[in-house]
Amino acid sequence: MKTISLHSYKGGTGKTSIAANLAAIYARLGQRVCLLDYDFRAPSLGVLFKPNPKFWLNDYLDGRCEVDAALVEVGEGLGLKGGIFAGFADPSTKAIREMMTKDRAWEMGALHRTLSAKRAIQKKLGADYLIFDTSPGIQYSSVNALASSDAIALVMKGDDFDMEGMKEMVRGIYDVLGRKAGIVMNKIPMGLIGGEGGGMAKAIEEEFKIPVLGVISCYCELMAMGGRSIYALDRPDHPFSRALEELSKRIAEM
Amino acid sequence: MDDDAVVGLLKKINENLEELGRKMDRMLKVQESSRPTAKAISSGEMPLDVDTLLSLPDHLRRTAMAICTLGEATATQVAAETERARAAESDYLNQLVSLGLLKKKRKGRDVYFYIER
Repeated sequence: MKTISLHSYKGGTGKTSIAANLAAIYARLGQRVCLLDYDFRAPSLGVLFKPNPKFWLNDYLDGRCEVDAALVEVGEGLGLKGGIFAGFADPSTKAIREMMTKDRAWEMGALHRTLSAKRAIQKKLGADYLIFDTSPGIQYSSVNALASSDAIALVMKGDDFDMEGMKEMVRGIYDVLGRKAGIVMNKIPMGLIGGEGGGMAKAIEEEFKIPVLGVISCYCELMAMGGRSIYALDRPDHPFSRALEELSKRIAEM
Repeated sequence: MDDDAVVGLLKKINENLEELGRKMDRMLKVQESSRPTAKAISSGEMPLDVDTLLSLPDHLRRTAMAICTLGEATATQVAAETERARAAESDYLNQLVSLGLLKKKRKGRDVYFYIER
């Protein structure tokens, strides 16, 4: 099983959308994919799948259930050869507040439970891929997910200027954990791709000393959907879907 | 809007900024105090969370990660997980015990290392 974290320094870079599309692409190829929403501060995977889970991932981390009880099969009816099993973060205000006030002892337990979940998902679910959609920055939940991953995809937008902050995160966390990492440049203005985009990717690679896995253009029609469509399934011929397909191959090879 | 209203508004903004500054100071203080220091780690006050893991030297981090994954394990089991020599792991595990990050207990002939929760 390959475990991947979608991470970013700042919010709104497209982690959730990329995570869901990657899950769909792998599942379409016949793989069993587990997708976990580890963004406990701003849960957003639920917007896409509108789940009604018996347990949230919060319940699992709090020790109220086993991890499989918090997973919902969301791939049914999507015409996938494989399957998508998703775990959701509780979007209620109370749960978000609660997660923000956890102490270090609790986070220590959460790291252990995240690592245990990974084992259970591999053994019980027979998953081929485990994908963590994380919170931006260095939240505990995110770093717990990063520590449990084999590979990290750092998603950045065309207007992310805080290169120093991002570099610090790559050096201080990705490198220290010894994880394979790559950058996904997302929402890049169309005019820059191919022309300056190529130069931009090269500059980023030199700056961060990790490869650029993909450069994805900015599409207004995608934003208009507000994260309610999995483009790779709904419009497989769309350039965004094709870019994601390329990305899925690069990530699988990491 | 007359001048008085503008001055009032600016005063309010200034007050808000000052309050924000105070809040930031408090947040920085909290953050500062929650960061692990070598002293805090060696005094056994620090939990083995991901922050502590990141602050450990490479060789110890791999051992500590293995215990985080396995929950409770012997040096042999840790060596299988990290693919390093048992003797080395035994040494690292005992270093983690003396740092106060792990505990150990004897079960028959085996010594098990674990994280106290």
